[in-house]
Amino acid sequence: MSERIIKYTEALKEAADQMLAQDPKMFIVGLGVSYKNGADGTTAGLAQKYPGRVLDTPVSENAVTGMAVGAAINGLHPLVHHGRIEFALLAADPMFTQAAKWNYMFGGGNPVPIVLRINVGRQWGNGPQHTQSLYAMFGSVAGLKVVVPSTPKMAKGLLVAALKDKNPVVLLEPRWLFQLKENVPEEMYDVPLDKARVVKEGSDITVVSYGDGFVAVLEALELLPKDVSVELIDMVSLSPIDHDAIARSVAKTGRLLTVDTTTPAFNVGSEVIAEVARRAVVLKGAPQSLSCPLVPCPTSTALTAEYYPTKVDIVGTICKMLGKPAIERELSFEELHLPPGRTL
Amino acid sequence: MDLLGAYRKMFLIRAAEEELAALYLREKIMSFVHFYVGQEAIAVGVCDQLKEEDRVMGNHRSHGHYLARGGDLKAMVCELLGKEGGSSKGKGGSMHMIDKSVGFVGSTPILGSVTPLAAGTAFERKYNNTGGVSVVFIGDGASEEGVVYETMNLAGLYKLPLLIVIENNLYSVNTTLSERRTAGYDVQKVVEGIGLNYRRADGNDYHDVAAKAGELIDGVRAGTPAVLECITYRHMAHSAPIMDESVRKEDTLDVRKEKDALKRVRDELIAQGDQAGIEAAESQIKAHVLDAISFAQAAPYPAKESLYTHLYE
Repeated sequence: MSERIIKYTEALKEAADQMLAQDPKMFIVGLGVSYKNGADGTTAGLAQKYPGRVLDTPVSENAVTGMAVGAAINGLHPLVHHGRIEFALLAADPMFTQAAKWNYMFGGGNPVPIVLRINVGRQWGNGPQHTQSLYAMFGSVAGLKVVVPSTPKMAKGLLVAALKDKNPVVLLEPRWLFQLKENVPEEMYDVPLDKARVVKEGSDITVVSYGDGFVAVLEALELLPKDVSVELIDMVSLSPIDHDAIARSVAKTGRLLTVDTTTPAFNVGSEVIAEVARRAVVLKGAPQSLSCPLVPCPTSTALTAEYYPTKVDIVGTICKMLGKPAIERELSFEELHLPPGRTL
Repeated sequence: MDLLGAYRKMFLIRAAEEELAALYLREKIMSFVHFYVGQEAIAVGVCDQLKEEDRVMGNHRSHGHYLARGGDLKAMVCELLGKEGGSSKGKGGSMHMIDKSVGFVGSTPILGSVTPLAAGTAFERKYNNTGGVSVVFIGDGASEEGVVYETMNLAGLYKLPLLIVIENNLYSVNTTLSERRTAGYDVQKVVEGIGLNYRRADGNDYHDVAAKAGELIDGVRAGTPAVLECITYRHMAHSAPIMDESVRKEDTLDVRKEKDALKRVRDELIAQGDQAGIEAAESQIKAHVLDAISFAQAAPYPAKESLYTHLYE
């Protein structure tokens, strides 16, 4: 196959496009999804290509999401887009209490094949009410499958898999990764919704991450001393968590660091560490987790520079856990505040 | 119109609810319950206007809607008693009625939440161009939720074949309308202001409900969603059979008895001269209800392992 480098957003659009072409029951609803560059480009051109199937909506997240759930319980395959997780919370009832419970509470035979694409908003200038990383909240709801695409290739494969699934699937997409590029296969493919990925094998320490935290770890690997061997796991799924894959790796390395961009309370990393402890995996030192502090994300760059864990913080923590000296490195304004546009 | 047929359905709901209420008082039934007694003319009056392919959804107080649509009585009682043979295999209970074989496609107790779901069932009809309307029953309390107004606009905008029936029984639990709404609150103005059709019916009068529902559903089939508000009386407490009468204002016991929807239809049928036929129907339905209760009491509970089944399909 020839190299074909596309962006994270283009990968999402390609998945939707290929599934719309294949599945006449599928439709898309969301604010602005029918715009020329709809939903940050993830629905660009689809309204023209599939008339009547890509629908702009009133500013009524609760009713629109509820309508999509009602359509799904009668056999349609809606893809609902919420551009900000805070706006998706206005639809908490149809997501958490209706879609997630429907099949169970009616004793089976009542599937809800709905996909919710929700953007998690880390981005410069967005402040306390546009940037909440509520990953753990979604992961705690019984009846939802929750995945976080960490790369363009994963974004396409996970969205295709979600659209083929019979159950409610939530894609929590870090806006921070939208400019990321990768060689993505043109043909349609899907990846498992419930399996973590060992992205890099190593022997000294297991680093478990997802989303923008995962990409920060990738950046950190480039700064690490050459004699440090990291095994890097992309969690992919937050519900269910692939605890077996994580425990296997930690049993091998004996050290565990989790990295993400949520607050440290009721935290995904804490959940990972707790399960490793419950399984009595033997560790060479205390496990650590790197997250954001338990304060809202502020707007000023002077403060966001302190808020998110950086690649230098990650390298520092890994070195400390291995008893090595920390590295010194000043990060540029671009490194701290602009989303990664690199090609993986 | 088959008035005796309508009466039979109304009497089935009344008899089932009264027997179940008595059972609740006698035994430990651990399914939160909201009885429909007093509001039967609405469920039956509306459902009598529907075709087989039409869909109905309900709320926390939906035994009546389920039975009016022809839902299986034994499966309903089993569900209340938490039995394996329940309509939701014991996982839903009283607040989660469903019988898709008769077009009753589900009910949800979070106030207002079922309204957009019903709009979605109507969306599916429009999307697939298969005809059929969706009817959703909500109460006056639920109608104060923001999502109901969002859904009215959405249904109007997308021209969805949806009828929203507001059963206004004057109370949200024990809170009266005047305690919840401004003096000028006008449901008709709100609904018509959004662009939907509206009619108000006497919810204690089967004929009035049936006529106005029929009229609105004609419009719904032609692409204009509508709201039917039925003023009615709930004879029992919000969620239990025994009621504190002191909370009732206009709908005192005497008024409820006098305006009772079943009594009106029964008196009319008697005036037409078939008292013996009515009494025979009543005793036959009562026996049918008692039989369903005995069946459910003897039915097995779900296996413990089923706690973990059906999370996903």
